[in-house]
Amino acid sequence: MTIADIFVGACFILGAFGAFFTAFHPNILYAAISLILSLLSVAGLYGALGADFLAAAQLIIYIGGILIVILFAVMMSEDIYKKRFFEGAKKYIWPTIFSGIVFVTLTRVMMQVDWSNGSTPDFEPTSRAMGWALVGPYAVTFQYVAIILLFGLIGAVIIARPAIKMKQRAAEIAVEDNTEEKDA
Amino acid sequence: MMNLASNLPAFLAFSFLLFSFGIVAALSRKSAIGVFMGVELMLNAAALNFVAFQTLRRGVVENGHWLHGHIFSLFVIILAAIEAAVALAIVLRIFGNRQTIDMDRATELKG
Repeated sequence: MTIADIFVGACFILGAFGAFFTAFHPNILYAAISLILSLLSVAGLYGALGADFLAAAQLIIYIGGILIVILFAVMMSEDIYKKRFFEGAKKYIWPTIFSGIVFVTLTRVMMQVDWSNGSTPDFEPTSRAMGWALVGPYAVTFQYVAIILLFGLIGAVIIARPAIKMKQRAAEIAVEDNTEEKDA
Repeated sequence: MMNLASNLPAFLAFSFLLFSFGIVAALSRKSAIGVFMGVELMLNAAALNFVAFQTLRRGVVENGHWLHGHIFSLFVIILAAIEAAVALAIVLRIFGNRQTIDMDRATELKG
């Protein structure tokens, strides 16, 4: 039982708790905070696996993103403090059964494989090698993801922009035209 | 149990757990933000699997670059960021149209 094992075990436990409350807590604000706990533990597991660059990226991207999600949740949810634990428990029944089936199936498949001859993580820095990989063998994929990101952001801006009500605007234009004709 | 830090089945079981809770959150939450959080959880589980396989099965699958799994996880994180942008835009839109983000009431596309 080394210090790495203790760290990984703590990450497992905290992440499982966070995921549980993300799924089951009725208050959306607490669910978002539990999601932070879960994502933090995933970042810790990246670190324990020797993926230092990914751990940093996970921290930076997700903590900022989840802060914005919390902001949205607080802005847009009505009466988030009025709900009690398992108040609407009925809607959880079928999803829980379904995800339990998924979990059991995946675990049984995992049990059938012999995982004995693995390797241990080595802790050499990965950022330089990842940079070279992104401009070398993965250059096309990298550009493709960049284009997807660009189009996704443009699409997000278009979707989030307030709607111009076309009929209303057309009616306003028609009224303006009529008044101009009368004036002339 | 003693050797947790290089134990691939433990990592896999953890990511299955995350994935299952993500399914529960995505299917049973009423608010759109909750569904979004479930999807984030599922994406994280998948990305963790990539890195775990890369690191702990390195000697078994020895072809190609030594950071395949890391780079796939990086792409998953980028795609999750895009998904977050579009999802939050859609949430804003639903909220602007009907002053709520309850997914059960956004039924315009129902057949």
